[in-house]
Amino acid sequence: MNKQKRKKIVLLFTLLASLILSAQENFTVSGTVKDASNGETVFGASVFLKGTNIGAISNEYGFYSITAKKGTYTLIVSYLGFSNTSQEIVLDKDQKLVFEITESSTELEEVVINAEESERVNIQTPQMSVSKIKVETIKKMPVVLGEVDIIKSIQMLPGVTNNGEASSGFNVRGGASDQNLVLLDEAIIYNTSHLLGFFSVFNADAIKDVKLYKGGIPARFGGRVSSVLDVRQKDGNSKEFNLTGGIGVISSRLAAEGPVFKDKGSFLVAGRSSYAHLLLKAAGEDNSASFYDLNLKTNYKLNENNKLYLSGYFGRDSFDFGNSFESSYGNLSGNLRWNHIFNDRLFSNVSLIYSKYDYKLALKFFEFDWVSSINNYNLKYDLKYYFNDAFKLDFGVNGIYYDFDPGEINPTSETSAINPLKLDQKRAFEGGLYINAEHKLSDKLTAQYGLRYSTFTRLGGQPLTDYENDLPVVYNNDLGIYEAGTEIGETNYKKNETIKNFGNLEPRLALSYQLNESSAVKAGYSRVSQYIHLLSNTNSVTPLDVWTPSGKFIKPQLSDQYALGYFKDFTNKIYSLEAEVYYKTVDNRIDYIDGSDLIGQNTIETEILNGESRAYGLELLFRKSKGDFTGWLAYTISKAEQRTLGGNAGGPGINNGNWYKSSHDRTHDVSLTGAYKFNDKWTFGANAVYQTGRPVTYPTGQYQYEDLSITSFSERNANRLPSYHRLDISATYVPNRKPENRWKGEWVFGIYNVYNRKNAASISFGQNRETGANEATRTAIFGIVPSVSYNFKF
Amino acid sequence: MKIYFKSLIILFTIIFTSCTDVIDVDVPTSEPRLVIEATIEWEKGTTGNEQLIKLSTSVPYFSSTTNNIVTGASVKITNDADDTEFVFIDQNDGNYINSSFIPVLNEAYTLEVINDGETYIAHETFVPVVDIAEITQTREDGFDSDVLEVNVLFDDPEDEENFYFLKFQKEGDILPELFDISDEFTNGNQMTIFYEREEDEDINQEEFEVGDVVDIEFYGVSEPFYNYIRLLIEQYESVGDPFSTTPVALRGNCTNPSNPDYYAFGYFRLTEVVKANYTFE
Repeated sequence: MNKQKRKKIVLLFTLLASLILSAQENFTVSGTVKDASNGETVFGASVFLKGTNIGAISNEYGFYSITAKKGTYTLIVSYLGFSNTSQEIVLDKDQKLVFEITESSTELEEVVINAEESERVNIQTPQMSVSKIKVETIKKMPVVLGEVDIIKSIQMLPGVTNNGEASSGFNVRGGASDQNLVLLDEAIIYNTSHLLGFFSVFNADAIKDVKLYKGGIPARFGGRVSSVLDVRQKDGNSKEFNLTGGIGVISSRLAAEGPVFKDKGSFLVAGRSSYAHLLLKAAGEDNSASFYDLNLKTNYKLNENNKLYLSGYFGRDSFDFGNSFESSYGNLSGNLRWNHIFNDRLFSNVSLIYSKYDYKLALKFFEFDWVSSINNYNLKYDLKYYFNDAFKLDFGVNGIYYDFDPGEINPTSETSAINPLKLDQKRAFEGGLYINAEHKLSDKLTAQYGLRYSTFTRLGGQPLTDYENDLPVVYNNDLGIYEAGTEIGETNYKKNETIKNFGNLEPRLALSYQLNESSAVKAGYSRVSQYIHLLSNTNSVTPLDVWTPSGKFIKPQLSDQYALGYFKDFTNKIYSLEAEVYYKTVDNRIDYIDGSDLIGQNTIETEILNGESRAYGLELLFRKSKGDFTGWLAYTISKAEQRTLGGNAGGPGINNGNWYKSSHDRTHDVSLTGAYKFNDKWTFGANAVYQTGRPVTYPTGQYQYEDLSITSFSERNANRLPSYHRLDISATYVPNRKPENRWKGEWVFGIYNVYNRKNAASISFGQNRETGANEATRTAIFGIVPSVSYNFKF
Repeated sequence: MKIYFKSLIILFTIIFTSCTDVIDVDVPTSEPRLVIEATIEWEKGTTGNEQLIKLSTSVPYFSSTTNNIVTGASVKITNDADDTEFVFIDQNDGNYINSSFIPVLNEAYTLEVINDGETYIAHETFVPVVDIAEITQTREDGFDSDVLEVNVLFDDPEDEENFYFLKFQKEGDILPELFDISDEFTNGNQMTIFYEREEDEDINQEEFEVGDVVDIEFYGVSEPFYNYIRLLIEQYESVGDPFSTTPVALRGNCTNPSNPDYYAFGYFRLTEVVKANYTFE
């Protein structure tokens, strides 16, 4: 550690000491905020002392802590869509208060995206580039085939896109989909899609809320340079047993929840399964595609200060093409957590998390099968100390051990021509240590500053190929192409040996300056590093793409993002406006040499070069969050580019070393979503989307070779698909029911892509085999798709 | 390996095929470029003296022009070991012919083409090929167990890396079907490559029937040519496949040393070939 750093840390401790000392005169009220109807803890409720600036937001486990001077106060708990709850408190000693808040029946229609919106707090908090969506909101959006989809919903936000209907994942501010950290109850989810991107892996009935950080990623997160999608499962109803479910065109769902352990805990079990394949089988069709998933959650309260949570997820997709091949893939995750409250100001949580993604394939006609997987074990310890109203401190440590199994091939019969093969298994350890302060510097100025130190160790237990001059890729000057370097041998690394070590300091800083009661400007800077990469040189990410760790030849990605924003509430918080500009650079973004072959490739380093990317844009979000009509309009104008120079490999680089548009570049992106409550029976919803077409590479000519017309291409991504746009509508009908009836049902009717636009997922060019003429073929996934589903709660 | 996964991707694509249509698209046009199709092939059991090199230029993508032949160029191949020169005579139809070529397996050769003041150079080695062990027909193998396919079987030599290039063409079809093959995952084994046809009304294609004749050409090729033809085939067959790799410029081995950006399309290859045809019974 150099002197400079040491000095900074000493300074920080002095600061802390002074804060602790100044807090002597104060008392603390702490506790939990819960939903009165089902006992679920509430994340993001604002708890504050009336007539003061003093307040806190309940954390992921519903915990809050407020410290103020001795006195008598009115404590108010507010959460959008819920009635305000208030209570007189005499603050003359430290105390605990549990609040149960009630959904405000008259405001049921209030479908809002930012639940943290609540009095001053939203404007004050320096956190920017974040969107929180309640599952209720997501459920009201029109969706394709009536399947509620979290990933598709977040694409309605500014700065979030994807490659169209049949593509996995999502892209944030011009980033690739492997640059998103997707967490389900803290467990890393490696593939967010079912059926190659038609649907997402999250069952909305099991999800409590979804939070997306597009930038300004807090110091407690690390490992992905673009965004964090933090999805949290429900804890389960702790008041009474109930069932929720739904019957749709593609799949059906059922969730059971209720109290257990003599009211010391609750559970949730939710399952979802598609059944189209059964109908296909019944109709004598050999080919089928199907998916299912299972969510589990339970918690047990040991005592006032200790609570255990156990959550799990298991999801699987399978494809069966008659006698040709079978394929299946999915995520598996589990998390055991222990919440411990040391005292009324110090909250802690330990998590032990496991997650896995695997891909299996059996090709019957070639008589072999293929298996690949990524596993990780993650241990995390997070603490939050509520020093006083002006200063809160988050800190913690975590370690992730990865096991990569990039692929194993086994012949499945005696006669198979395939030799068994196992690609080198890879192992790595990723560590993180962070501290982050939320500091109210004055009534108007609030800062959030933190530092994360991340490390990554590529562990041995595998051989590594050595290349001449240490160059796995070289430029062939004669032919003008990049090709694999010359192998000169192999170095074997033992299991306890380190192949390569990385360490990065990641500062995170955010400031909020309140201009007046209803508006604020915010600014932020963050640096994030990413050590594992998804290898994909295809137009769309496919389930068989494999993850690879940084190491001797692959460097970690490093991003720097700057953002500036203006936030304003209008007319009694009915309307709000958010405007943000951002500039982001990523170093060491992997790019693929022309003709790269990634499948079954043991020496990935011979197919790639380390490049860089940059993105910038302006995002506007205007929304109405109260009344019969709610919704938002989002507009983004942006640019995302990448460049890869030859570097040590020589030559000009990929695409002649020129900057080129990344496939996630969208100049314009407009999303409009709205819900209108017509009466107690009918609610209507609509989405409208317009996006500039995706950058693609079009032919620039043709020539005859081997009796075929061969297409010639030049610059990468120099052209664009036609623009993407569509309109979806939905109507929800709640039939009459007697108030004493426990069964609550609703019908959801939807039409996706109302005007039947054939949005091109891809346009490919080729020769018609009958006429020999060249033609352009458009693949459009969904035309107009009507749907109906029935949801119930019992 | 690629071909297995390619088949897989094709199968994934089945899900999407119902969603494709042919549309009009404006595409850019780059400057015409010289195309050198210098395929020196030596069919086993022949002298290999008669050789043909074709020169043309590239044309706009949707152009139906065939009037793009190149005449007046000077074309010759040199045997690097003994400096024997084989000059190819301009036939004024884009074809250049030499009738006294001497093929030597594993020998290095150099191609020189001079056209419009630009000199193009390519180096390649003459690559041998193993015999086809057997050609069979089956129904139960292949993608669809009810459909006829023809199988080409051959024994891959174990002590070396081998690359193959296989061409099938059903008599009556205007276009051949190309396969690139490497022994990366199958070294030393007997390998089977099958050719099966699916019914496709759009292009008037039917499944194989008894009496259909398929011409087969089986080449041994060099690793650089394998890399080239693999990418060529992959890009050629990516139509309608949303999971296809991002297309890239395809560069062969015909370079222009004094003007590197003006390289030529096509390839100079020297390969031994086994030709056969098969009639379904």
